[in-house]
Amino acid sequence: MSDLSKENNQNRVVIVPCSGIGKTYGSVSREAAYEVVENVRPTRTQLVPLSLLVLGDDNSRESVAQNQAVTIDGCKLACATKMVEESGGTVVKDFAVLDVYRNHRDLKPKGIAELNEGGIKLASVLADEIAQVVDSLEISKEDQLELRGGSNG
Amino acid sequence: MTEFLETTIDKFIFRVAKDCLYNGEGVWAKLDGDLVKIGLSDFVQQRSGDVAFAEIKPEGTELKYDDEVAVIETIKVDIAFSSPVSGTVVQVNPAMEEAPEVINEDPYGAGWIAALQPDDWEVDKARLQDPDKYFAQIKIEAQEELEKGNE
Repeated sequence: MSDLSKENNQNRVVIVPCSGIGKTYGSVSREAAYEVVENVRPTRTQLVPLSLLVLGDDNSRESVAQNQAVTIDGCKLACATKMVEESGGTVVKDFAVLDVYRNHRDLKPKGIAELNEGGIKLASVLADEIAQVVDSLEISKEDQLELRGGSNG
Repeated sequence: MTEFLETTIDKFIFRVAKDCLYNGEGVWAKLDGDLVKIGLSDFVQQRSGDVAFAEIKPEGTELKYDDEVAVIETIKVDIAFSSPVSGTVVQVNPAMEEAPEVINEDPYGAGWIAALQPDDWEVDKARLQDPDKYFAQIKIEAQEELEKGNE
């Protein structure tokens, strides 16, 4: 499980998936998020549940505000992305499950509480794509802000 | 400029274009020159969800009224739609291949799905619902869905 304590989560990329409970694409987004934070990049990432952001949980808001965020949206409402932005976070990459599926039509997700094989594989593909983004984020947020400030004159 | 009938049910706003006719599935048809353009109503696209893929009968296909003209795969359902027109498919909206989400974004405009050369538009017109009738239908269907969701 991810650890939301400050000490362990400094400079970890925040992964915020869709909270679409009861929706197949929401389940894929959460499955992909778990895969990233628990198996694929456990030392580089932390999970922040969208529900905690919505509830205004201080630790979650702080994690989002102080670290780079990758969001995974299950539908065009893009709640995860909007909520991170409203919480003062920086979304470095917003993934949409639908876009990933369009590129992998053979992995049609079905099921909700229990995803079918296609859904699990799609989540795995998505997790790998997220990992690539995480790997590209070698520079800390503070450094990025400094660089941006420098480039702006 | 297209005018709309509009209703709000729960948190959803549904619009029915006043310059189209509709079959019972919510496929609209509109005369455009010699051709009849068809597409999915705002109510249908909202109820069906974000479109992942749209497979439209290819150009040259001859259709009878009520023949299957399109299959839409969304994040919720796979759903087949019947043609509101008898005739020949002369153009499929190129966006259906690369960006079928236009069905969600602009169902009565850029999200049109095909244009048909009608066999007899006057005959088909008589079988379709006018906007007011279709508007009444979607209000009932939306209310039923809302009540089902509240059970």
